[in-house]
Amino acid sequence: MTGGGNDGSGGSGNTEKLTGRNASMQSSQSQPVRPVAEVRPVPVDDPTVGRHSLAAQGLNPTDPRDVKPLMAALGLTEDDAAEPTAIVPAEQLREVAMQLKARGFMLMDTVGIDYSAYTSPRPKRFAVLHNVYHPDDHRRLFLRVWLHDGEPLDSLYPVWKAANYLEREVYDLMGVEFVGHPDLRKVLTPDDLEGHPLRKDFPLGETPTLFREGRFLDPATFRAGLSGQQRGLTGYRGELRRGQGEDRMPPVMPEGGPK
Amino acid sequence: MTVTQSKKLAPIERDAENSGALMHTEIMSLNVGPQHPSTHGVLRLVVDMDGEYVIKVTPHMGYLHTGFEKTFENRTYQQGVTYAPRTDYLHCFGHELAYVLGVEKLLQAEVPERATIVRVILHELGRIHSHLVFVGTGMLDLGALTPFFYAFREKEALQDLFESVCGYRMNQGYFRVGGLSRDIPEDWPARVSVFLEQFEKGVTEYENLFAKNPIFLDRATGVGVIPRDVALDLGLTGPNLRASGVALDHRKANPYCGYENYQFDVPVSTAGDSLARFQLRLMEFRESAKIVRQALKMLKPGPVKDPNRKISLPPRHELETSMEAVIHHFKLVTEGFHPPVGEVYVPVESARGEVGYYIVSDGGSMPYRVKIRAPSFVNLQALEYACVGSQFADLITILATIDPVLGDVDR
Repeated sequence: MTGGGNDGSGGSGNTEKLTGRNASMQSSQSQPVRPVAEVRPVPVDDPTVGRHSLAAQGLNPTDPRDVKPLMAALGLTEDDAAEPTAIVPAEQLREVAMQLKARGFMLMDTVGIDYSAYTSPRPKRFAVLHNVYHPDDHRRLFLRVWLHDGEPLDSLYPVWKAANYLEREVYDLMGVEFVGHPDLRKVLTPDDLEGHPLRKDFPLGETPTLFREGRFLDPATFRAGLSGQQRGLTGYRGELRRGQGEDRMPPVMPEGGPK
Repeated sequence: MTVTQSKKLAPIERDAENSGALMHTEIMSLNVGPQHPSTHGVLRLVVDMDGEYVIKVTPHMGYLHTGFEKTFENRTYQQGVTYAPRTDYLHCFGHELAYVLGVEKLLQAEVPERATIVRVILHELGRIHSHLVFVGTGMLDLGALTPFFYAFREKEALQDLFESVCGYRMNQGYFRVGGLSRDIPEDWPARVSVFLEQFEKGVTEYENLFAKNPIFLDRATGVGVIPRDVALDLGLTGPNLRASGVALDHRKANPYCGYENYQFDVPVSTAGDSLARFQLRLMEFRESAKIVRQALKMLKPGPVKDPNRKISLPPRHELETSMEAVIHHFKLVTEGFHPPVGEVYVPVESARGEVGYYIVSDGGSMPYRVKIRAPSFVNLQALEYACVGSQFADLITILATIDPVLGDVDR
């Protein structure tokens, strides 16, 4: 998923890639006056990163900001995300939100995520996360709702007026329909723009970089090496660079060519 | 939920009773903006008016929408620092800090103490910068031209300070994941101290000059009242929420960057009107200055970047002797680092309220999704509630004291 790299060690995991040069690096520091480079492993694919850090430090296992009792009281299951997240079935969302509002929570943010290009399979294509926060005891909880493409979701406008613009934004940029929203219009994009720009299949509309002798760099191909979808090759393929391996080039220049 | 001020609505009701027999009346729609000085950017308001009284406000946003969130998805994490400050161009460091703290939480990077303290100083100076613009342009909207020049005198001095640390007067992009892009100049702490002395005199000047001005008090007192429950319902944060009586400040509630080590107060008012919102920001001037003074005392020499070579670039001199340093440099510049899979959110108290970046990582060196929690966008919803029933001139006051930055609204 994230390993690989220029060294071509295809099978090596992330840990090995990140720490493998530790010994040789420190031994290369011949002059003691210079600061010794420190290499610590970046934590590997731990979905619970950050969440248990308090407990790991032995700090306050009964944290008043822990929302687990709250999730249990609302009958929600916990998500494996780093932040305290509860999975809410779409049909229960408004009821859960009303209970949270009765407990004094406020709606901070609404996040729409399109998981269609995500590396590991997710239950459904879209997730809408409502970020709720208690202004007095400072508990924060994310309510995650999984949605298929085109599946509508109950609006939280009847519960929190803050949902007005927040849901309009998710509707505009992600294309999730909210049922019961009184004024579901576009909010950020121009009226004549079709589509929802933050969906992963929305085209970027960029032009390739043109080099001499007609070679060009396709931005999408370049970036593919940087995303989590492919092994990191720095987006720069040796064969292409030397003018070989034409079969791996994008077959046609985008219409109009580079500007 | 609508804030109605019955006293001010009275003329409409009276007209209704007289049923327009004497005079033909109708609801008039008035367009304000998008190119209007009082909208602080490019905000278009369609105001439905009954005579001089506002009965409905419909904001139209998006004129500054540049798709930062989409851009984040197609740039490496370190490159994203360029875009974060451009969302809120008046308190750039607030957005920068929120983004950088989020990525650092993902990476579990260790930020050196010196970098953290410099971040706190710049974060607070940025807050002062933003509030100075608020005072200057806010009073300008009310027809007072002088405060603008006083406030911008200090603002220019601040921008000189920003320029000397990173070369940019606005949109700095000075923080890096794991620390700072470079160390501060040697004489910089002394220059900040000099600025603070001059600035605190300036704040006294503002208070004497316009905070007690009877014309201003008359135009701001009791205008655009947002009660506590409405403010919470609308999701307001920052000074707008504190003016309505909720003492929520993430520097106290969820301390980041070691804010728990600083002594400062969070001014709170229960009035909820435009005057309270204005006065709270004037008070925050002094509190921010207090924090900066304490931070300057804590400042000690030391590194300003995480020493982890998988996150920070190696020092220049190592590139000449160490092959590993060259490889690290090449990998970081061309590809960047790969944080683990996860989703993080770190709230930060900016001049406008809670800023947070919800960052989704799929293990690649570019974020899978970045959602900016923009306080101006949410705060702007208060306009529709606070303006109903007030006069048109009050709408300008209310918009000025809600203090949205349109870059932050539109992103």
